[in-house]
Amino acid sequence: MFCTQCGANNADTATTCVQCGRSLQPAPSLPAQSAPMLQTPGIYVQNYLVFAILATVLCCLPAGIVAIVYAAQVNGKLQAGDIAGAQAASKNAKMWCWISAGVGLAAGAIWMLLVGIGALSNLHH
Amino acid sequence: MPNSPKIFLLPAMLTVLAAALAMLYFFDPATSGLFPPCPLRYLTGWYCPGCGSLRAMHQLLLGNLRAAWALNPLTVLLSPFLLYGTASFALFELRGRRLPRLFLPAAFIRALYAVIILFGIARNIPLQPFASLAPAAPQVQAGRALRQSSQTP
Repeated sequence: MFCTQCGANNADTATTCVQCGRSLQPAPSLPAQSAPMLQTPGIYVQNYLVFAILATVLCCLPAGIVAIVYAAQVNGKLQAGDIAGAQAASKNAKMWCWISAGVGLAAGAIWMLLVGIGALSNLHH
Repeated sequence: MPNSPKIFLLPAMLTVLAAALAMLYFFDPATSGLFPPCPLRYLTGWYCPGCGSLRAMHQLLLGNLRAAWALNPLTVLLSPFLLYGTASFALFELRGRRLPRLFLPAAFIRALYAVIILFGIARNIPLQPFASLAPAAPQVQAGRALRQSSQTP
């Protein structure tokens, strides 16, 4: 289950969030399906927008753009009160940030390797 | 322990970030060969929205706002937001405390997405005012490139 405060994914048996310590017991006073909430206090779903932008301008543009689209979805669904949808979009945003970072790091590593080979072949000549 | 990899992941990420910032402070991506060239620029000759962002960040770290702006205005405009977001994320992960949260409406993020795409297109148009959005070659780099080209056969 997801923590309603920080959005961390916890084991279904957990009683408190491993990340922020908030109680994960359902509050009895709150109705299960409340009306659409706008920026409900206490509900936080990470949208990874900062990392999506960094990934777009520094790593892999296409994957970063996809992450930004999902970041917009997270906030859009939060605005509409769709917490589960926001959490699903949040997962996708995170995944695409990592894909972009992975592509960027791999390209950087290949570049370093080529520089290394180039330096070695220069030594021979 | 569902989140145990986080214990190692976070310090690793912060170390990488600190190392990257130090590298960016001491080495200018425009002149040092340490930083990889953009594959898109290398293969197609086009400027993507991120072109010049590393060089701009280097100039920002040195405090040269004007040079950074000439390289990538988008990076300069977004840097306060990126800095705040990174600081808020790190503080939360380390201390469990969140800085006052910026909630950007979805429409705002979509607008930002459109701005990034349009910026990427505009800076490739070889006409003023658009051409000035392309990363400006600093004087040092131009001189260096000239010397290099005269040396190679």
